Amino acid sequence: MAAHQITFTINGGQETALVTSHTTLLSLIREQLGLTGTKNGCATGECGACTVLLNGEPVNACMVLAVEVDGAEIVTVEGLAQDGQLDVLQQMFVEHTGTQCGFCTPGVLIMARALLDRNPNPSDDEIKDALRGNLCRCTGYVRIIEAVKAAAKAGG
Amino acid sequence: MKEKAFVIGQSVRRLDAVGKVIGEALYPGDIDMEDQLWMKIRMSDRVHARVTAIDTRQAEAYPGVVAVLTATDVPVNEYGLIMPDQPVLCGPGSSKAGADIVRCISDQVALVIAESEETAAVAADLIEITYEDLPAVVDVMQAIADGAPQLHAHAKNNVLNHYRIRHGDINAGWEQAEVIVEGEYHTGYQEHVYLQPEAGLGYIDDEKRVTVVVAGQHAHEDREQVAHALGLPEEQVRIVYPAIGGAFGGREDMSIQIALALAAWKLQRPVKVVWSREESIIGHHKRHPFTIRARWGATREGKLVAAEAEVYADAGAYAYTSTKVTGNAHLMVNGPYEIPNVKVDTYGVYTNNIPCGAFRGFGGPQGAFAAEGQMNKLADALGMDPVQIRALNVLEEGSITSVGTPLPPGVTLSKVLAEGAAQSDYWHKTGAGWARISPTEQPTTPAKRRGIGMAMGFKNIGFSFGAPEENWATVEIHGDAKIERVVVREAGADVGQGAHTVFAQMVADGVGVPLDKVEVIGHDTAETDNSGSSSASRMTFMAGNAIKTAAEQALEKWRSEQRPAVATYRYVPPKTTPYDPETGRANPNFAYGYMAQFVEVEVDIETGHIDVVRVVSAHDVGRAINPQQIEGQIEGAVVQALGYAIMENLVVKDGRIQNPFLSTYLIPTIWDIPRETKSVILEYADPRGPWGARGMAEMPFIPLAPAIVAALHDATGIWFDHIPLTPESVVSRLREHNIGVI
Ligand code: FES
Ligand code: FES
Repeated sequence: MAAHQITFTINGGQETALVTSHTTLLSLIREQLGLTGTKNGCATGECGACTVLLNGEPVNACMVLAVEVDGAEIVTVEGLAQDGQLDVLQQMFVEHTGTQCGFCTPGVLIMARALLDRNPNPSDDEIKDALRGNLCRCTGYVRIIEAVKAAAKAGG
Repeated sequence: MKEKAFVIGQSVRRLDAVGKVIGEALYPGDIDMEDQLWMKIRMSDRVHARVTAIDTRQAEAYPGVVAVLTATDVPVNEYGLIMPDQPVLCGPGSSKAGADIVRCISDQVALVIAESEETAAVAADLIEITYEDLPAVVDVMQAIADGAPQLHAHAKNNVLNHYRIRHGDINAGWEQAEVIVEGEYHTGYQEHVYLQPEAGLGYIDDEKRVTVVVAGQHAHEDREQVAHALGLPEEQVRIVYPAIGGAFGGREDMSIQIALALAAWKLQRPVKVVWSREESIIGHHKRHPFTIRARWGATREGKLVAAEAEVYADAGAYAYTSTKVTGNAHLMVNGPYEIPNVKVDTYGVYTNNIPCGAFRGFGGPQGAFAAEGQMNKLADALGMDPVQIRALNVLEEGSITSVGTPLPPGVTLSKVLAEGAAQSDYWHKTGAGWARISPTEQPTTPAKRRGIGMAMGFKNIGFSFGAPEENWATVEIHGDAKIERVVVREAGADVGQGAHTVFAQMVADGVGVPLDKVEVIGHDTAETDNSGSSSASRMTFMAGNAIKTAAEQALEKWRSEQRPAVATYRYVPPKTTPYDPETGRANPNFAYGYMAQFVEVEVDIETGHIDVVRVVSAHDVGRAINPQQIEGQIEGAVVQALGYAIMENLVVKDGRIQNPFLSTYLIPTIWDIPRETKSVILEYADPRGPWGARGMAEMPFIPLAPAIVAALHDATGIWFDHIPLTPESVVSRLREHNIGVI
């Protein structure tokens, strides 16, 4: 299998990796880099558990090929906290029980981060629109919406 | 012991929340070991066939393949939670008669273990399986008919179980009945869709134990079943749960556990497996589809006098927990009402469909769908208010249930009904009884109709029908002059519901220390004793009772200067009994939770789309140990039940699942949730509950579907007796009544 060398930034640090042409960004992140915070709930773009930021935009990592991220900047859930300080979204998910089993949480947090970055004061409908591709089977989404709103209120 | 309000009753943060939001919490698929191999499980290609030969040569010769395991490799080739009726691997040469037959598409036939995941998958396809097809039966009514293909020698005409209730004198009941309503209710499959698909790792630990790291609901039960299949003593098997990505009953039965243990044990190397979403949806059991025929009678004043039902559940190819699920439905199909004359026959039936088993509510939702449908129809037929008719009939302290015995002490159905109704903002109590405050306001858009409806229910807490029930907890108090640290060992699975946080709250209160001094050790059979499963809404109740006494005893030892002060307590609840085979008479359960729901919907009569506008969910939780977590359970269960009632449509044709993907099996997204869910949390202590607490996590699931149906009736004047209420099914039913014809 032809290997491609790619270089990219992930959570602020530069990385180089050898990937095949069919390696997904999800398996690059989880298996090659060992960053298991990003989850695999379907591998077919249907659940949102694998959401990461690619050049600031949320993508389903299972639907992106690793070769496409050469030169790109990636942020995963592990990159949200800065210097041991939780991101305000993370704080609010803790505070408001926005997480139960937690398997959807990394993807939800990344998607919410992307939302607040472009829209610091989202309405309920805007939050729902942003998170429409992130399935959660535990919470009924109520506390997820609450946590995102609380984070926005606390300055996003 | 004095109550310490700073811990019990507070919405303290989940112990695991930070780990989960920073991505540090490890789920089974996140864990790797040096030198690990990968496994691919080859499932059956047929719904009913004899496996006459398995040719593994090509797969074994494939570069990177380490081993292919089949039926001949399984020491005791059988398993099953309530009876070992399923082969671990189906194929010839097995240690058990009948294990050469596949009975459904999720039967496992071979395990391929290879150096990489990809290699294992490629090689699995190279296995040549020769089948000799057997006649299949995929319909319950056909399965019980004479001449149907027989799935198991122990189940004549495929009847796994038949329960009866013969209570009072049903003929006398019908004579007293002044109004009679009937219905044939159908409920569909439901798939759990826990977000974390099955994954795990098997290895041999330092003490030579076959160890399986996996997500489950009852570590000690997993251990028992793995040990049985491997022919090993239980001490040589260890089960470890890391973070569990949801369960909802779907992890009560085995999926990958035995396969992982077998592979690790045979190869003496770590072996990992991760199921795809498709494998997960095909590979584990479902909520049972039910057909229920019910006929109920009441006097003109609305007093129930007779209830009769026939209940059929499609168990699928193996028993799983079907005898228990149908046992629950058998009781709950009569509703939480006092009915002097009752006759019920309930059947769990084997078919070549996918096996069915535990799913939040455990037979309760199906039973309640019929019972509450009947109650709402009776109210309608009598021109009575649905809350009022229930107030006249609910079981009170000491009332005799349909199985001839009273409920355990602490019956609060009438309080839950009354407080729920009052807080729903739809009902009020007048001099003449309960009544709607005002008729449902209709939208101005002609295609939209609004309706308001309600339903209620009861659900057992803990294992039923005489099943052994226990929970072990150990509390260790460490320190010297002052208490420095308190450790609780309690195996109870935190499947996402927050059990560990609640355990910590209870220990903190029991010992009288702040929460941050408490450490919970669980999820490992090497570290804890059996606590039973995280199911039947039982963990707060059962673990709480064990923890409370263990904490008291440890504290006593601490006071008498023991260092560390350690106490272990095994809580055993009051005994339950199975159904009498002829009359159904039983003491089925030792505790219950009670609930009522009030629902407003808007239906588009052109498209059939249902919008659940508002849900008011009222629960007696006994004591809210952590109110925020309780609200989280209510909100989550309501949305899961909404999916069950109106969206989730698992299509099974000729025994095969047609839509094993999240793009085709649709669960609620954030756009599908009610615009408002109001939790009404009531705290009437259960005299047997720790701190008065009752279980509650299944309860909000149970009445929602019939409450939605009642609201649809209010909106359209039509009863819907089939769920899921997909837009197509709603449209076709409306058109039968010439509603919404364009
Ligand atoms: S894992 Fe990528 S969308 Fe589900
Ligand atoms: S918290 Fe379990 S899936 Fe969202």
